[in-house]
Amino acid sequence: MCGIAGRILHAPGPVGRDLVELMDAQVHRGADSTGFALYGPPRDRGFVVRAVGMDRAALGRDLDDFLAILRDHGSDLLEDPTWDGADTRHVSVRMVVGDIRDLARWSRDADGISERFEIQSVGRSLEVVKDVGTSAEVADKHGVRDFRGTHGLGHARLATESSVSPTASHPFWARPFPDVAIVHNGQITDYYLWRNRLERRGYRFMTENDSELIAVWISDRMRHGTSKPDALGQSIREIDGVFTYLIADERSIGFAKDRWAIKPLVAMGEAPELAVATEEQAVRRIYLEEGDVINYDGPAMTRTWPASLPDAPIVEAAA
Amino acid sequence: MSATDRANRIELQAADRPIREVNDEIRAALADGREVLVRDARSRHNLGVGLPSASRVRFEGSVGYYCGGLNDGAMIEIERNAGWGVGEAMARGEIVVGGYAGMAAGASMRGGLLHIRGDAGPRCGVAMKGGDIIVEGRIGYLSGFMAHAGRLIALGGAGEACADSLWGGEVWLAGPAESLGVDARIEEPGAEEVESVEALLASRGLGDSGRDWRKVVSEQRLWHFESRDAKAWLMI
Repeated sequence: MCGIAGRILHAPGPVGRDLVELMDAQVHRGADSTGFALYGPPRDRGFVVRAVGMDRAALGRDLDDFLAILRDHGSDLLEDPTWDGADTRHVSVRMVVGDIRDLARWSRDADGISERFEIQSVGRSLEVVKDVGTSAEVADKHGVRDFRGTHGLGHARLATESSVSPTASHPFWARPFPDVAIVHNGQITDYYLWRNRLERRGYRFMTENDSELIAVWISDRMRHGTSKPDALGQSIREIDGVFTYLIADERSIGFAKDRWAIKPLVAMGEAPELAVATEEQAVRRIYLEEGDVINYDGPAMTRTWPASLPDAPIVEAAA
Repeated sequence: MSATDRANRIELQAADRPIREVNDEIRAALADGREVLVRDARSRHNLGVGLPSASRVRFEGSVGYYCGGLNDGAMIEIERNAGWGVGEAMARGEIVVGGYAGMAAGASMRGGLLHIRGDAGPRCGVAMKGGDIIVEGRIGYLSGFMAHAGRLIALGGAGEACADSLWGGEVWLAGPAESLGVDARIEEPGAEEVESVEALLASRGLGDSGRDWRKVVSEQRLWHFESRDAKAWLMI
């Protein structure tokens, strides 16, 4: 059991605060780890990179290596990196970098820096913030409530099938596709088969978590010309398991739900502003008054909601 | 509630208060012989679970999961929608949902009446072992799944896989079913049975002699499962 949520605002605003609230309301669904995929106003050039170092004492060395590889790929830091000042051994880092010649090649090299340093998201607007602990704990540590943006995802994890760690938490970035992230409630039973197929085509997975598959699976379909609604529909027929997942990019949030109708999802709000969550009582933290609630309770459902961003830039990635 | 009732009624607020505190106050008021109105239920979970007989509680707005679960005879009214598992494992009493009831409404209930004025989500009446569920709208995917006894009555028909793996009990449909589940079959209901169902509906203000009933029952092949027949049960 996990809890997921999504939020779309009609204009840039306190999306971090709302997502923390949505996840706090679902803390009973999983408190092993909590994470957020936050979409700020998109940059015209360059990317925000979010990473985790598993050894704070080695951070200086890891950042030096990161920068050397970044420069090898025709880019550089645009701002000084920042990181949390907590007393945990692991450390979350935020960097703003210039455009990169080939994101897929760079990400392969950068992922090889060290076992203890992992990139968690890359995007014009996406920032993945995730850590062990509850929504309130992760929000306090990383200042999530202060994040202003247009839309985002949240996840509360009850770990069932792989380890509890900052890196094995949701959301998962669709490595190496910029700005794509997912949160998932459920289990994918044939994830290792799909991962093998995708790995043979050059994709790289960083954890043993079944959910890491989904974002890459959808992005790979879309890279080969499938529309997002079609790719979501295909995932219901081709991926085995019980699942309701949300997938976001710089332009939209979508969801897909399996054929067995096990994992709930509700939506509330008026387009272009809305909140979706596993539980209705969570969206009622945002919409205190009684109103129309859409229950996506049936089997085999998909839907995509546009974010309020008419002219977000599109970034291509090749695996 | 009438004017005289109102004098004997206590009003509580659920909102963002701890649910245990709200439930304790409901129980204390009922023990005092008073009726309870819970305002601003805000889709919160586990409201009014295990309430005693001859008590009366109304929830204003929508409630979350398991409202009225383990009901032991209370009359419970929910103004709007109910989340997952409303009336789960109810023994006796009555629950009325004014709007939509989420997944697994009346799951494992053993007695009493669950009356849903809107539609019901998937697995309505899953594993029910007695009592009656009336849904004025449509029941969702896999409704009646593995029920053992009782009646699930849907005036607006049913979604896919209706009465899948039904062991016993009956699913009554006054509208079309998208499909029947495995080991379910449609039986012509007897006149007395129809009379009994219509009498129940009439007692709820839903009398209508013109309905075209279909009664779905167990085909009972799963009662004696043999592995060589396994293919018949595979849904994928």
